[in-house]
Amino acid sequence: MHELAPRIAAYVQRRLPLAEAIEVFDVERIHGGASRETYRFRLRYRDGAQTIERRLILRRDPPGSLIETDRANEFAAYRAFHGTAVPVPEALWLEDDPSHLDYPFFVMEELSGLDASPQNILSPPYAAHHEKLALQKWSILGAIAQADPKKLGLVGIMKLVDPVDAWRRELDYWTGVIDEDELAPQPIMRAAIRFLRRNPPPAPARLHVVHGDYRTGNFLYDKEGNVRGILDWEMAHLGDPLEDLAWSLNRVWCWARDGRVGGLTSKERAIRIWEDASRLRADPEALRWWELFSSVKGQAIWLSSAREYQNGKNQDPVLALSGWWLMNAQDRAALETLGKLG
Amino acid sequence: MKPEIPKVLEILAGKLLFDVAPHVSPAYRQSSVGVSAMLLGIVREEWDRAAARRIEENAALRALFRRAAPVVTDTDLRRRLEAAAASSDASFLVSELERANDALRALLIELHAQVEQEPSASARELEAAIWRELVASTERRKLAIAPF
Repeated sequence: MHELAPRIAAYVQRRLPLAEAIEVFDVERIHGGASRETYRFRLRYRDGAQTIERRLILRRDPPGSLIETDRANEFAAYRAFHGTAVPVPEALWLEDDPSHLDYPFFVMEELSGLDASPQNILSPPYAAHHEKLALQKWSILGAIAQADPKKLGLVGIMKLVDPVDAWRRELDYWTGVIDEDELAPQPIMRAAIRFLRRNPPPAPARLHVVHGDYRTGNFLYDKEGNVRGILDWEMAHLGDPLEDLAWSLNRVWCWARDGRVGGLTSKERAIRIWEDASRLRADPEALRWWELFSSVKGQAIWLSSAREYQNGKNQDPVLALSGWWLMNAQDRAALETLGKLG
Repeated sequence: MKPEIPKVLEILAGKLLFDVAPHVSPAYRQSSVGVSAMLLGIVREEWDRAAARRIEENAALRALFRRAAPVVTDTDLRRRLEAAAASSDASFLVSELERANDALRALLIELHAQVEQEPSASARELEAAIWRELVASTERRKLAIAPF
């Protein structure tokens, strides 16, 4: 039995005081992003005459984290979008008290029998559905952009920013991450940051929900080419919707290595789908600003992962891999956006 | 060293991927074994070129600084560019070359930021040369498995 099983069961008993015969079993750690430890487990209990069984996911803060994020934001985003056009698992319990499982955590429904791998999506049976997956992927992103954060109850949980300063807040934050975490000088990123500060983008008309990590690899899909769940909302915030669109187009997510964004479709089609669904226009110059920003943000994350690994704070080999695998590609992506790659 | 280091790394990566990983559970640990094999593959690729690409880049940066010094109006920066241009790699240990490379690239950032401010035609030419070197720096670091 996994050592977490009885502790999770004890926690569930506190949350469901009327439940009887609580059993937690099949606890297994899975890859669920490097920012939190992710476990799947099954919960069975009796509720009166009824036996209830659920497949659940536990997302627990790790000792070292790739991204310093606010779990309350992530939990709130799952709650807000559940039951809307944006498919997400049901979020159940948020727990800040580390005494239960050593670190804060939250629990949500598992959407089982689906795939999320950015590599598997390139092969059969998924490869036959790329255009359908692309249509759904960027339509859902458009739906996120269209959503009203106030109606979703996210204002107050996610920090407000003047739309005029949305770009500055994000750029300041991620520049700060690079300042803190770089293990070697970053001449390309420093040049990109100077360019971004000299050429700020126009402000969005209002604040939108920004997923913050919307890409192939962070959604669940089925064998018929349907997107069934949007995951990894740990960087969700309020801001400019072009930030999400640009991040989804980032060259480092061109998993098929053929220029198709997210390994699925052409950049032009992805933008068209998003514009149709969001009823917003992706101004090319503004989008270019956010694309360059997405290289800065990406590099900040790869630099953080390299530092975490080198410091021994978190020795998951995926942190070393993301540093080695993606840093130079991210530099090249920035050079391409700046028109320097030729 | 015989057997050659790249060959050893290639075999180890293959063993991890095809002999070890399929027998490891749970899936999270299995995936970590696969990622470790990928890391060995990258070390194999980097092993042979590690010193060469740093020597090449350090020389390219010193040549760039030699060219830049007369163009730069800031006297302190000019003095440091001249000193860096006159330096050389005394040791070919990768760690020493890396230390020199870090210092040179930190100076490149300062130079680039300064040149962007200068209005002269020679500053524009120098800026173009800096961008060419930055593009070349990513060519030197390219990995076979990189997405881009």
